[in-house]
Amino acid sequence: MFESLQHLATGFTIAGTVQNLLYCLIGAIVGTLIGVLPGIGPIAGIALLIPATFSLNPTSAIIMLAGIYYGAMYGGSTTSILLNVPGETASVITCIDGYQMAQKGRAGPALAICAIGSFIAGTIGLFGLVFLAPPLAEAALAFGPPEYFSLMIFGFIVLSNVTGTSLLKALMMATVGLIIGTIGLDPVTGDARFVFGSTYLLGGIEFVAVAIGLFGIGEVLTNVHQPQELLDQRVTVPRFRDLYPSLQDLKKSIASILRGAGIGFGVGLVPGPAPVIATYSSYMIERKISKHPEEFGKGAIEGVAGPESANNSACQSAFIPLFVLGIPFAPPTAILLGALLIHGVSPGPLLISQHPGLFWGVIASMYIGNFILLILNLPFVPLFANILRIPKKILLPLVILFCITGMYTVNNSIPDIWVMLLFGALGFLMRKWAYEGAPLLLALVLGPRLEIAFRQSLMISHGDFGIFINRPISMVFLLATVLFLIIPLIRMTLKKQRKEGGL
Amino acid sequence: MLRKKILGLLVILTLLVSVPIQAAEFPTKEVQVIIPWAAGGATDLIFRALAPHAAKHLGKAVVIVNRPGGGSAVGYTEGAKAKADGYTLTSAVTPLTILPHQVTTAYTYKDFEPVINVVSDPSMFLIRSDMPWKNLREFVDFAKKNPNMITVGNSGAGGGVHLVALAFEKAAGVKFNHIPFSGGGPSVTAILGAHINAVSVSPPEGIEHVKAGKLKIIALFAEKRLEMFPDVLTVKEQGIDFAMGMWRGLIAPKGTPADAIKKLHDAFKLGMEDPAFQKTAKDMAVNLSYLGPEAFGKLMANDHEFFGKLVKEIKK
Repeated sequence: MFESLQHLATGFTIAGTVQNLLYCLIGAIVGTLIGVLPGIGPIAGIALLIPATFSLNPTSAIIMLAGIYYGAMYGGSTTSILLNVPGETASVITCIDGYQMAQKGRAGPALAICAIGSFIAGTIGLFGLVFLAPPLAEAALAFGPPEYFSLMIFGFIVLSNVTGTSLLKALMMATVGLIIGTIGLDPVTGDARFVFGSTYLLGGIEFVAVAIGLFGIGEVLTNVHQPQELLDQRVTVPRFRDLYPSLQDLKKSIASILRGAGIGFGVGLVPGPAPVIATYSSYMIERKISKHPEEFGKGAIEGVAGPESANNSACQSAFIPLFVLGIPFAPPTAILLGALLIHGVSPGPLLISQHPGLFWGVIASMYIGNFILLILNLPFVPLFANILRIPKKILLPLVILFCITGMYTVNNSIPDIWVMLLFGALGFLMRKWAYEGAPLLLALVLGPRLEIAFRQSLMISHGDFGIFINRPISMVFLLATVLFLIIPLIRMTLKKQRKEGGL
Repeated sequence: MLRKKILGLLVILTLLVSVPIQAAEFPTKEVQVIIPWAAGGATDLIFRALAPHAAKHLGKAVVIVNRPGGGSAVGYTEGAKAKADGYTLTSAVTPLTILPHQVTTAYTYKDFEPVINVVSDPSMFLIRSDMPWKNLREFVDFAKKNPNMITVGNSGAGGGVHLVALAFEKAAGVKFNHIPFSGGGPSVTAILGAHINAVSVSPPEGIEHVKAGKLKIIALFAEKRLEMFPDVLTVKEQGIDFAMGMWRGLIAPKGTPADAIKKLHDAFKLGMEDPAFQKTAKDMAVNLSYLGPEAFGKLMANDHEFFGKLVKEIKK
């Protein structure tokens, strides 16, 4: 413990040099911008800037690139809240209550609580990184295909009905997501499935296209469908005093932020779709334990604070497997791994002992970076909140334009734009008939991973289903899933009996 | 008046300057290199590192463009359909000769002109150091006695290292239980967590864990031993006639003029020889292996035929 603190102090002297502070600042600014723009995410952002770091020393380079990663987590919520356009997988859930808050003239508090929550969660994540990194990395290795499968099943069943409206409709949407997720190359045999001879479909359906389509384009179409008077109506312009969260908002949010940070940090250690599981779980928990669950979906600040904090601490803990094992669990850390290699640092179990300056310098810079991001983002709140003053007849076409250009930048692919527009139309119909987009997106992310983990497990066990029950971690998740399904049934029967008994 | 005179002067100047440009030879603008995978993979990193060095000798910028999708089919289709003027190159990697056998693609290697091969890395099997097998013979003997029992991870069904594993089991006369993962990272994670028995990889995947002593190379499919681990014997030295690796080079659309290909080849060759790039490559633990257009074309043709047979056998 003491040793870690000593190392961290050295780290701060490295991160605190003028040069490194500057690169940290650049990374934070670029990251925020990338997060704000829909479509282009931290992966593309980091990849594009790697060549710009060729002339830097490895520590400065990683400080800047890491800044882009966690910076994007701060900016990612902006378009979700203001325009209902999720920029990244991590900010899908923020659309639900964040956008509703903005529609009620509370964009300012929503944006501000994101920055504050991210800062607190980032700080907690960092302490986890400093003190718990090596044991946690070892623990993460205990997750093999069977454990992963059971975790996914748990996530799938429990998180599908994240908004708590209709379980039947949620499961229907999740099924659609699962089906869409099977398009492309079969992960086990490499055969093409449901591609109808199209080269584009071989790569599967791009998640970002579906997300922006369902939420962003769908919202624009819903708006256009309104009567003219509603369209001319402007969002209530907030008074300056209302731009920042009130004391009551903060009181409501603080527990959500802390819970979100904890969930995110734990889930961030799981390979793959950590940001999705972390944000969905946080939202689910906040809704379940809230004293006023009816507010969720209509602009509850806890529904923004929790998930936004969760995605930030998940981003911090994603650095643990990268630095301790040299294995990237999340796509952005895979690009950081490439950047380390280019700079002659081989990421792996020896990294911390061979390059202590780099490791502790980057860790310390992440703390400084989180602070920079907080003071960078808060002053922008009034500016962003004012975007909603733009009349809708001007704003809506701009949003479409923004979505199209943003989508193109992800893969430089025109078909992606068509997919996005198609899902925009679907999103409009879904909204009309009150179907939720969130379960579909969850299934689209989890489906392919669920399938591959299931088939891998059975291949390892030669077809024996016992592999899912014989392994303790896997069994715990399956048991939890069963309990989740059974408990409401038992409650229902008990209620019924009581009623009958009373009669 | 003065403004008109200046304008006239500018027009004349522009004409004067543009004459030599029109007469200039290839290249007159930047050259782009299509990478059929997302940014950050081994191929992407190698060509991003090489691009500025080649650009120095080409006199024009070399721009890397990522076109991921379809297990590389999207990028190769676009590369094959690009204008054959030398301004669009595609990075050619072993899957170029594998994927067309597995799914219907709009291209094969024959739709391209070979330019240069840059990298060639041997493949290998890694196991955990605490496994009971001390050497290749014990590993193979166990596999012979227990067919289908040893689980061997790979980075994706039908991908390069999966086919290497299939080809090796044929050469050694054994049967493994192949487990596909969605990339080299996840397969190495699975072996570290002891969820599989062995993993088929190509450097730099897993190398750091070998250095740290957690994993060891149980089978090296190279013609000669690795510089980094001189004590590790190749499988050839141990009596199994087998060697296979992954190559990474550059190709141009069919019909690209020969002089453009020569200029591109020369510029990338000089770029490869640049000491700064050589150091980067060494740090990345990739093995530079130069081949000219003719030899590279032969290599692709050989592998195309080889993988065609292998894929057919798997599908049976």
